[in-house]
This record gives sequence, C-alpha cells and structure tokens, in this order.
Amino acid sequence: MAEKDDIQREMEAEHERRLSRFRILVCIDGSEESFRGLDYAARMGGADDCDIVLLYVRTIDQGLHSGGLQIRVARENLLNWGIELPGVRYLREGLDLLIGQGQMVEDWNSIHTHTDVEGDPLGDNKIEYRNNQGKSIVLKLKTAHDPASGILDQYELGPYSLIILGGDRKRGFFPRQVAQQVALHAPCSVLATRELVPGRGHLICTDGSERSLEAVRRDALLAKRFDKPMVSIMSVARDDGEKAAAEQAVERARNVVAETGLDVINTYVNIGDPVEEIINVGKDYSLIVLSDDGKSSFKRMLFGSVPSKVLAKAHNSVLIIR
Amino acid sequence: MADARNTLAGLAARSVRRVAPVPSLGRITRTLNLYYFWEKRWFFIAMAIGAVMLVMPRPAGLTEEGMVVLTMSVVATILFVTEPVPLPTVALMIIVGQVVLLGLGSTEVARSLMTDSVLFIMGSLMLAVAVVRQKLDRRIAWFIVRITGTKTSRICLGISVVSGVLASFVGEHTVAAMMLPVGITLITLTSDDPHKVRNLAAVVLFSISYGCSVAGIGTPSGGARNAIMIGYWKEFFYNADDPSTAIYLVDYLKWMLYAYPMFLLQLPMVTAILLMTFRPEYRDLSRACVKLRTQVELEGPMKPSDWVAIAIFALVLTGWITLSADLGMGTVAVMGAICFLVAGLVRWEDINSGVNWGVVLLYAAAISLGVQMKETGAAIWIAESFLSWLAPFGADHGIGLWAAVSVLTTGVTNTMSNGAAVAVLGPIVLKMAVVANESPIILGFITAISSAFAYLTVVGTPACTIVYAAGYLKTTDFLKVGWKMAVMSTVMMLAGAALYWPLLGV
Repeated sequence: MAEKDDIQREMEAEHERRLSRFRILVCIDGSEESFRGLDYAARMGGADDCDIVLLYVRTIDQGLHSGGLQIRVARENLLNWGIELPGVRYLREGLDLLIGQGQMVEDWNSIHTHTDVEGDPLGDNKIEYRNNQGKSIVLKLKTAHDPASGILDQYELGPYSLIILGGDRKRGFFPRQVAQQVALHAPCSVLATRELVPGRGHLICTDGSERSLEAVRRDALLAKRFDKPMVSIMSVARDDGEKAAAEQAVERARNVVAETGLDVINTYVNIGDPVEEIINVGKDYSLIVLSDDGKSSFKRMLFGSVPSKVLAKAHNSVLIIR
Repeated sequence: MADARNTLAGLAARSVRRVAPVPSLGRITRTLNLYYFWEKRWFFIAMAIGAVMLVMPRPAGLTEEGMVVLTMSVVATILFVTEPVPLPTVALMIIVGQVVLLGLGSTEVARSLMTDSVLFIMGSLMLAVAVVRQKLDRRIAWFIVRITGTKTSRICLGISVVSGVLASFVGEHTVAAMMLPVGITLITLTSDDPHKVRNLAAVVLFSISYGCSVAGIGTPSGGARNAIMIGYWKEFFYNADDPSTAIYLVDYLKWMLYAYPMFLLQLPMVTAILLMTFRPEYRDLSRACVKLRTQVELEGPMKPSDWVAIAIFALVLTGWITLSADLGMGTVAVMGAICFLVAGLVRWEDINSGVNWGVVLLYAAAISLGVQMKETGAAIWIAESFLSWLAPFGADHGIGLWAAVSVLTTGVTNTMSNGAAVAVLGPIVLKMAVVANESPIILGFITAISSAFAYLTVVGTPACTIVYAAGYLKTTDFLKVGWKMAVMSTVMMLAGAALYWPLLGV
C-alpha cells in the first residue's frame, strides 16, 4: 500500500514538474510538412525549460482490408529482413533533425519504456532523452484507433503547452482531417502547419475581448522564444459601424504586446468577412494566430467558429491559442 | 477496443475539467459525452435509416421478409464503408438480425454460416501464414534478378510476373507480405535517401501490389471473393436433380480456363503503365543486386524443410485441381494447413495471431445474408429495379449491362474490401442476369473480376493495403496511377468477355 502511495506521489510530482515547463508535442507522420513542423518546434524550443515530444501514431489494423491476413505478418517479415518499420524510421529521422539543429547531444541519459496495449503485440514504446538541466526530448510510438484519438490520448498522458501537427492529411476515400479534429477537442494550443516557412512573423488576430487579449499576450511570449521575434496585429470589423471598436482592439493588443517587450511590425484594421480577410492578409506570414473563442468542444462542433473556419480554409499555418 | 475505451475515458475526463460557458449545455455535454456519439455517428445514422426503411410503406413486388433483408443489407453496407464499429460487430449484427427480425431459427442461422466457401477462405488464410513463415522470399528475389538482369524496367516486369504467378495460386495478400521486404530492400540498397528514389520506390512497390492484385482473379485461391462467387453460383442455380444445371458447378480448372488468360494479358500492361507514370531515377539497379546476392548467399543452400514446404504446397495445388469436385476446395485447403502443422513448419500460435478470424466471421455472415437475399426475393427485386433504371441507357442487356455491372462493382469495391463487395453485390448481379436473360456465369465472372479493380484507394485490395503499410507510398500515388489501371483492366476484361468467353461455349 505504501509503495502504491509512493508511485502516486511520484506521478503527481512529475505532473507538477511538467506543468511548469513549456512542452511541445510534435506529431510526425513522415510527411515533409510534419518535419517542417518539427523544425519550427526546434527553433521555438531551444531553451532549457522546453521539452519536445515526437509522436508517431500507428493505427490498429482492421484486418478486412488486408484480406484477413494480419498486416503484422508482413511487418514481422520486414523486421526479419532488418528493415525498419515506418514509425521507427520517421522518429529516427526526426531525432536526426533535432541533433542536426544542435538541440541535443549524444551523451544525454536515455530511458526506454514499453506499455502493452490490449490486442496489439507492439503496444506503445517510448524513449526519453534527458540532460542534467531537466530538459527532455521524447520519442513516442503509439498505437491508437485513429491518429486524432491517439494524439488527444497522448495529451492526457502529460499536459502539453502546444500541439504541432500537419495541417491536413488525407487518408483513403474519406478525408479525415486530423488537424481539425485535434483542434476541435484539444485543451491546449494547436499549431496546424501548412507550407510552414519560418521567419515571416506572426499575424495575431484579435477581437478586443479579454480572452483574446490574453491570447495575444501568450503568443507574444511564444514569439519571444525565437531569435528574431516579429508580430503583427489584425482586427476585422464586419461593417463600418464596428470599425472604431476594431481599431480600439488593435490598440489594446499593441499595448499588451509592448508590455512583453516586443515591437509590433504592422497593424491592420479591415472591414468584411473575418474569415476571408484573415486568410487573405495572413498568407504573407509564417503563422496566423487566433484566440480560441471559449466555446465548448460540442458547441464548436455544431456551430463552427472563426478559428476553426480559418483553420479549415487558410493557405498557410494556423495557431489556435487556448 | 480497449484503446477506444481508454480514449473515451480520457475524453470524458477532459470534458469534466473543461469550464463550459453555458452551464446547462455544458452539463449535458459532460454527462452524455457527445464526442462518443460524434465518433460513432455513422452507426446511429445507419440505424436510423434502417428503422425508417422498416416502417416505410413497402414498395410493390417486395415481400415483408425481402424488405427486412434489404434493410439489413443497406445498413451493413453503410457500416462496411464507414467503419464506425469494428467490422466483426457487423457480422454479429447480421446473425442477430436474421434471428430477431426475420424470425429464423437460431440453429438454422448458425448452420448457414459455414459453407465450403467459408472453410476455403479460412484454410487459405492459414496456408497464407504458413507460406510467409517459410522465408523463401530472398530466394525468390534472387531468382527474379538472375533471370531479368539488373535493368530497372526488366526487374519491375520480373517482380510483377513472379508476384502475379505466385499470387494467383497462393493468394494476393500472401505474396504481397512476402515480396514487400524484397521491394524495400532493392530500394534502400540503391539509395539511403528516400527522396532520391521516390519514383523508383513507387514503381517497385506498385509492381508488387498491382502484380498481386491483377493476379487475384486468376484462380479461385487467388482471393476470397472468387470462392464467394463459386459458392453463390452453386447455391443459386445448382439443382442436384437437374443435370443441365451442372454448368453452375465451377471448379478450380474451369475458373482458371475463364480467368487466367485475362490475368496474363494484364501483366505486361501493369509494368508499362507504371514505368510511364513514374519515371524511375535509376535505370540500373546493379548495386542493389550485388548486395542482395550476398544476403542470399548468407542463407546457405536450400534446406530440406524448404523442399518439404514447396512439396506440400504443390500437393495442395494438385488437390485443388483434381479433388475439389469431390471433397470441396475448403477441405483441400484445410488439409494443406494440417500438413504444414504436422510437418512442424508453422506453429499454431503463428497461425492464430496471423489470421484475422473476425474477417472469416464477417465473410460467413455476409454470404449467409446474401443467400437470404435470394430466399426472400430481395435480390430479384433490386435486380429488376436496377435493370429498369438502366433500360433508358440501353444498358439492360448485352455488353452495356456487362459494362454497367463492371463499373458498379469497381465503384463499390474501391470503398470497401473486395470480398465484402462481391458478397453484397453477388446475389443482385446473379438475379439481374436471370431477369435480363444473360448468362449468370458471365455476369458472375465480371463481378468477381471487376472487384479486383480497386486500384484507386489504399483499402481497395489486400495487396495495396499491405504494401502501403510499409510507408513508402502516398495515397495520392494510388490515384495518380490507379485510374489508368482501372481503365486498362476494364477494357481488357470486357474485350475478353466479348471475344474469348464465347469460344468456351457459354
């Protein structure tokens, strides 16, 4: 019993430790886009208070599509030939990228963990590298029903500050937009990357509400993690009547950014449909930054919202701050 | 399943922590866990459609039982395509539905599940695992390279031909699983950087998967769908008292006579289409071939157990050709599995974990539902409606009908597995043949063969699914080359049906 308490306490201490750190979950699916996301995370997470977790989600086989022969028979055959399975290969590529960026060195301590998943022989596997300042880089190979639920499940295992994933991945006949699903349900900020080019700065969109100003402050802090932080601010009025309010919103946001010690490069006050205006102006920036609108995930699902519409339609990367 | 439960538990926990802005709605969200309903929405939509169909006024010409079976088929098809629940669940639902909704006896339904076709599917899957376990793949690879030389185009043709010929007897999934490492080894030995060999990877891997897919039509053991069609012919048209119906007993050789030439004609086209679509970066793979050779030499000479394995498979093949009329193809397949187990060439544990038994159950249930479609008259009703809908286009007879059936099957099979497509469409197509005064044999063959034309999607054919799992191909690659393959195959098949089959006297 005492032993159990110890484990419990240890887990809580670990949880507390994680809450105080900036933790980025990067979802890797082998596409170039996902590696661009990792590259971005590496630039953002250079400091010692930042952990980077690389996640690959392998979906459970349904069996019918492979004609009743389990795909694992083919996988075991691949392993017999000494060929790496895709997930392992992608994670290793990701690690090489981080090493290449000078994010980590070979002599960090590493811990391997394996968790059984019912009905699947491979289960979940994890390698954690940690330096003596407590910064850790984790490679995680996860098994889940589908990518989105795997990513959301991973959030539950350790709270994260930011999830980075490829903007749209299509699979099979029915496109299941993983990024949209994750953005809908994840309790933390989500960055959906799409042709992500670093160095063009953030475009922060605000409506002047308390919630969105808080998001502005948090994105400014995030931007400060980069070498040359650049932020611009935008607010959209639906018609001329709202223009004054929009201008005021931009002004308040500028003050919030100034408080964090950053300068605002550009400001925009546009009139029109918020989704279209934001997408239009935002295409010249690295990221479009939006505040979560505070609706529950159920209401978002039913009624939609500006952030999720921008996420679905934008040509470039979108960060939703939550 | 456990995974899904964990996810649900996690999501439930998440919604509890969330502070909802509107308390009343928030409370409902928390207690009902709406994400679960959202994830499973297709299940509830299918159920709702089923309920509506059952209370709807019955269309003229359809019996009450027919309506129930039709409803069950529609619901099952929606669930097959959208997969909101694990697929074997659909099989269990079909069983329960037959007892509860149709009022059939439980024993009767249970008995209708096991037929020679299902036994054959089960036996072939056990054989498939046994064959992959023999690790003959390196030798096969070396055999290909020795014959073709090191030119990329010739190696790809060699891979398609050998994969195809093997797959036509052993089953496409087996050969795809065996040849996949061969393909990847050739690619990685040529270059470590996947970006430099993207087109080469596509050509080599598609040579395996499409080679296997076009071969699946060649013999009854090429794929589950063929066995299903043979079962339907016998069930629908064979009458032991009437000697003239004996033509509906299609055995192994008869099937090969009809379908094997179609497969052989398609083989060279596969390589041609692939080489034209993806231009490989390397024209010569001699570097990879030399390394492959060293790997094969490390294996040493053929072991006695290798020869035993080959001998057993040769025996099974002879058994299918000579004995299947008397013993049934299923029995022969199971006998082969027994031989492999007795000879100690495969462990039962390997078979048990390598075969997805849920799929066997699924095919069993789908076939039993298909037979009910015939019994209750649902099949003939759909067949008549479909034909009257096709009539204005002149596609209710002859080659127009053939093309319509082929296009229908190709469409359905791209969204679900090809076996399931044949199990669902088979009864309808066979009844259409009766109504339109066409030969059920020809239309049956067209359905079974067209179901192999699922080149467009990853989930279409087993070989594509297995090859995709290696992670070198993109889903867009399938679209890029798949439509050319589908057009080529359809044209080849219709030409064969019009020119070659009449020579066989049907």
